[in-house]
Amino acid sequence: MNGELNLFVALPEIIMAVWAMALLMLGVFQGDKSYNQISNLTIVGFIVCAIVMLVNVGGERQVAFGGMFISDAFAVFMKTLVYAGGAVVLLISTTYLKDHKIARFEFPILVMLASLGMLLMISANSLMSLYVGLELQSLSLYVLAAMNRDRTRSTEAGLKYFLLGALSSGMLLYGISLIYGFTGTVDFDVLAQVLKTEGASNIGAVIGIVFMLAGLAFKVSAVPFHMWTPDVYEGSPTPVTAFFAAAPKVAALALFIRVMVGAFPGLMHEWQQIVIFISIASMLVGAFIALVQTNIKRLLAYSSIGHIGYALVGLAAGTQAGVESVLIYIAIYLTMTLGTFASVLTMRRSEGMVENISDLAGLSRNNLPMAVALAIFMFSLAGIPLLAGFWGKWYVFLAAVEAGLWPVALIGLLASVVSAFYYLRVVKIMFFDEPAASFDGNHGRSVSFVIGVSALINSPVSYILLVAPLITAAGWASKALLF
Amino acid sequence: MLSLSLTELAFYLFAFVTVAAGALVISAKNPVHSVLWLILAFFSSAGLFVLMGAEFLAMLLVIVYVGAVAVLFLFVVMMLDINFVELRQGFLQYLPIGALIGAILAIELVVLGSAWHFGPDVASNIAAQAPAATEVENTKALGQIIYTDYIFIFQTAGLILLVAMIGAIVLTHRTRPGVKRQNIAEQVARRPEDAFELVDVEVGKGVPMPTKKG
Amino acid sequence: MEFAIKTLVFLPLIGFLIAGIFGSKIGDKASQIVTTGLLFISAALSWMVFLDVALDGNKYPVTLFNWVTSGTLSFDWSVSVDALTAVMLVVVNSVSALVHLYSTSYMEEDPHKPRFFAYLSLFTFMMLMLVTSDNLVQMFFGWEGVGVASYLLIGFWFKKPTANAAAIKAFVVNRVGDFGFALGIYATFLLFGSVEFDVIFANVGQYKDATMSFLGHDYHALTVVCLLLFVGAMGKSAQLGLHTWLPDAMEGPTPVSALIHAATMVTAGVFLVARFSPVFVEAPDAMAVVTVVGALTAFFAATVGLVQNDIKRVIAYSTCSQLGYMFVALGVGAFGGGVFHLFTHAFFKALLFLGAGSVIHAMHHEQDMRNMGGLLKKIPFTATVMFIGNLAITGVPLLSGYYSKDLIIEAAFAAHSGVGEFAFFMTVVAALMTSFYSWRLWFMTFLGESRADAHTYDHAHEGPMFQMRFPLAALAVGALAAGWTFKEAFIGHDVAGFWNGAIDLSVKVMSHGESLPIMEAAHHVPGAVKLAPMIAMIVGLLLAAWFYARKTDLPQRTAKTFNLLYDFLLNKWYFDELYDFLFVKPSFALGRIFWKRGDEQTIDGFGPNGVSAAVAMVAAKVRKLQTGYVYHYAFAMIVGLAAIVTWFMASGISSGAGH
Repeated sequence: MNGELNLFVALPEIIMAVWAMALLMLGVFQGDKSYNQISNLTIVGFIVCAIVMLVNVGGERQVAFGGMFISDAFAVFMKTLVYAGGAVVLLISTTYLKDHKIARFEFPILVMLASLGMLLMISANSLMSLYVGLELQSLSLYVLAAMNRDRTRSTEAGLKYFLLGALSSGMLLYGISLIYGFTGTVDFDVLAQVLKTEGASNIGAVIGIVFMLAGLAFKVSAVPFHMWTPDVYEGSPTPVTAFFAAAPKVAALALFIRVMVGAFPGLMHEWQQIVIFISIASMLVGAFIALVQTNIKRLLAYSSIGHIGYALVGLAAGTQAGVESVLIYIAIYLTMTLGTFASVLTMRRSEGMVENISDLAGLSRNNLPMAVALAIFMFSLAGIPLLAGFWGKWYVFLAAVEAGLWPVALIGLLASVVSAFYYLRVVKIMFFDEPAASFDGNHGRSVSFVIGVSALINSPVSYILLVAPLITAAGWASKALLF
Repeated sequence: MLSLSLTELAFYLFAFVTVAAGALVISAKNPVHSVLWLILAFFSSAGLFVLMGAEFLAMLLVIVYVGAVAVLFLFVVMMLDINFVELRQGFLQYLPIGALIGAILAIELVVLGSAWHFGPDVASNIAAQAPAATEVENTKALGQIIYTDYIFIFQTAGLILLVAMIGAIVLTHRTRPGVKRQNIAEQVARRPEDAFELVDVEVGKGVPMPTKKG
Repeated sequence: MEFAIKTLVFLPLIGFLIAGIFGSKIGDKASQIVTTGLLFISAALSWMVFLDVALDGNKYPVTLFNWVTSGTLSFDWSVSVDALTAVMLVVVNSVSALVHLYSTSYMEEDPHKPRFFAYLSLFTFMMLMLVTSDNLVQMFFGWEGVGVASYLLIGFWFKKPTANAAAIKAFVVNRVGDFGFALGIYATFLLFGSVEFDVIFANVGQYKDATMSFLGHDYHALTVVCLLLFVGAMGKSAQLGLHTWLPDAMEGPTPVSALIHAATMVTAGVFLVARFSPVFVEAPDAMAVVTVVGALTAFFAATVGLVQNDIKRVIAYSTCSQLGYMFVALGVGAFGGGVFHLFTHAFFKALLFLGAGSVIHAMHHEQDMRNMGGLLKKIPFTATVMFIGNLAITGVPLLSGYYSKDLIIEAAFAAHSGVGEFAFFMTVVAALMTSFYSWRLWFMTFLGESRADAHTYDHAHEGPMFQMRFPLAALAVGALAAGWTFKEAFIGHDVAGFWNGAIDLSVKVMSHGESLPIMEAAHHVPGAVKLAPMIAMIVGLLLAAWFYARKTDLPQRTAKTFNLLYDFLLNKWYFDELYDFLFVKPSFALGRIFWKRGDEQTIDGFGPNGVSAAVAMVAAKVRKLQTGYVYHYAFAMIVGLAAIVTWFMASGISSGAGH
């Protein structure tokens, strides 16, 4: 362990932490009426941090804080997604929060602190920094889930998320302690060295990984640690749900990859089995249970479970191509999800927000652009060729087949066929059912903007706009992980 | 022949009490008793810390966990009138399967523990070697690494606590209408003429209602 | 001679293959001629071998090739012939040949003749495999083979639901016995370290007092072995408890009943016990069990036979009863007597069955005796041969049944043991009843006024001379003369020379102050004992005559008076109902659970019932897991974690324990 701090490497994170605290002060003095101001400043903070990261830190592999913190191309890639996710969520939240009288200045600050936790997770290079990053993120998210504290569903969601999250943290910590006990280190680089020589003969480390994976799987909501997801998605305020579905997934997946590839390459054979198992289980559960959902947020919850399953297929391959495909997948998933949730935020009538799929009936006749955009998202989520979602699945399955995991790819294909059914059902309801009452359209310009942009980059031109640059970036990022 | 030194005896005693108290925390019928068992568990853990030469941590555990956290628990448990009998109804129903799974997991972990071995290179892996207790007292030793090697963890932990505070405020703090608050600046700025008014009372007419101000 | 033996064993197989594979190509006629012709050659060779073995006392242990060599377990495919096998060869091939011939006419109108003849030949081959084996495993092969052939033949008219049910029942009940037999084989191997008869018999003395430990108790090993084998024998030979399949098996074509369910397969159990006689004699408890079961079966089946109205069922219960006699003989140690009865019984029972077939043929598949009567004028030849058959089975002196059956009754008495006396009493009573039901059958069928409709009665006629009447005549000759001809060899003075060690002759009992072999002692029983079966036979005959020839309203009145007893007998002691309640219903209930839960909900759900419906159903089911309770979610997490940990502990400890 080198004792150098190298604070410069962590500059974006430090800026963000200070920024958040400064905004907190601002908010405390000005009160909730300053929501717009704080929200905008938070977005600015995200942009500033992103610029600092891209310009000043760059994609070189550097460590800080005596090796606990790492910055490399992989981290830069993932962090960019987190910044984008956080900023976009703030963009689309305003109207909803004001409608529900929960537009409190703490909201953007909590989003920012959660994002900070994610950044720390992505940059974690030891089991301890992993844990504190994860807790910073989780705790902020628990609060966000319960934000609408006067609504029982919201508080219930927060409580459930908190209790089960605590359980998963317990598992994670237990796993960490096992690994520490059996290897004598928490440092990823040292772990990789130690386990490379010991391999699977260190059964304690193997079981430790099992516990850690259980904890991490909870965070990415992979089966069988997924059960909180639908309830929390449904209960939380919709912008928070959008945030849940986007940025934390990116961060947890990044952590997943970082830990597995960075710390435990010596036990690849072991963790591969678990990842294959939870990936198959997630794909199947996501595909099948979504079929019977009537609430669009629950539907998207199962959809996100399924998508995590697909993404994990790439990780299960355990190759650089596999990791690259996961990066492509998660980036595309981010655009689809944010676009879809932005669309959900437009589902408002005079009596308030509606969340049932049947409320979308005949949307094409009331608001054709909206219906077309949502249709694009659905097709993309279903993985219909030429849309962005298709390319994500394509690279993931390709990597799996190349690694000899064709049965997993096959199950994935089957699951995506099943899941196509419910995505297409939404499209059918929008275009062919008798129109329900139209939405009021007061969802704000920023929401329309997000929908428009996401629809554009998910549309059949996605390959030029999104996928091609992504492939370059993901290739660059995945090389940073030592294979 | 089993020979135990006094330290070993103390270790096993504390360890046994910790585990037993932990078991009783979750099995006690009365939640207040659970908290009391929890306190016992904290105390015996503190004993374990002392045995390892970490007096500071031991005291911290007693002061923070026993003195603050557990007492807070007690207050909460006593204030919330929760019908625990009702909560426990599902308990018996799931006990057999739960016990089975728990037993399986426990056995596996015991097997795992028995396979534990101190790898040859483990000692060299340990990141921040704690100085020997004789060299420096352990409060100082902690301070030396917390604020240097582990500053990152320490600061992040601080952020977590900040979030916890924000969360507690966001979720529970309310500005209620009609709540009377003391405003010292206003009190100090008050003049006698703001507070009272001299009125001439005519005989047989009574006092007219004063007009309300601000 | 060895070549003759090999030939006679494999000719039926060749017949089966030709008729089975090329049946549709070469046509009905050719199939019949080939199989029947081969069987006749086989039968002729059998007699040649029999005479050679019987007269010259030869043995032919012919080994074909080694079958299994695995550690200490080693045995061959063989066609070994000794006296016991030679007897069985004669019985099997003679009856089979005659049944083949008879069937060419009887099955005239059936559209699946090649298949039928193929099955018959297959059965014959399997039976030959069974009897020519020199080890238990080949015997088991034959044992199962005849079971399969029997299943196929009982269910030959597969469009008849009752035939299907009967075939299944026969198979399932036999499985129970086979299970015992298989256990017996394992126990034998465990004890003797071999499944070859020579080795086993040579070492019996060595294990005389050996014990086997089971569930903490020690049991006399030979008794265990013998009882297990006897369970197998009980299944095949339809002894009390496992008898229920035999009457139902009458759903098959009548020639099948004659061949399989009278003369050959059902005697396999007798053959097995006789073959193992050197072992059985060392297990007196097992012998006692054999005696008691045999006596009870003889009695039970006879009582049920009294009231049955289906002509074939009467004969079926008669068979069951006669098998009981054979087991009594084996049980008291008169193995020669048991096999002798097997031998004679094969002739007269096949005769009775084929005669019944002839009646049924004449009456256009009418089997209920209440719709017959007065057929003597129409089919006098059949009536005559069945009369001879009756004389033989009831034990009229000089006919074949007289020698074998009376010897059994006398041997039971001569055993001078509790079970022996019990068996003696039961068999005498059964003899009375045998006489009654046999003559009842004859009277009801051939005498009195016709109760059939006029058309059927008018058209009743004998079968073709050669194909149907010749087999009947041949069997009648056997029924008349087999006993008298072979009595000295099987049970008389020539036993030692004839059997030549094939069965055990060592059982001795006290008779008039000296120790004599039981079969000899049986000749020296008091006169009253000798007369007893004769008297029983005459009483039975007279009663039958009185009931069914003179006062024909008497049976109905008697039935009314003793209606409880009558119902009890008519319903076969309610065995089927009892089994239905004890085994069949619970099994079906269990099966239904698997079917409904396992098959319909799981397998059909994914398969034929439509993927989309299944998908929705699965989704709805899994959604129910999403209860909303935190502790359910937490539990799911813990279970998932425990499962993965267990997986790695299980796989990791085996692979990663290297350090």
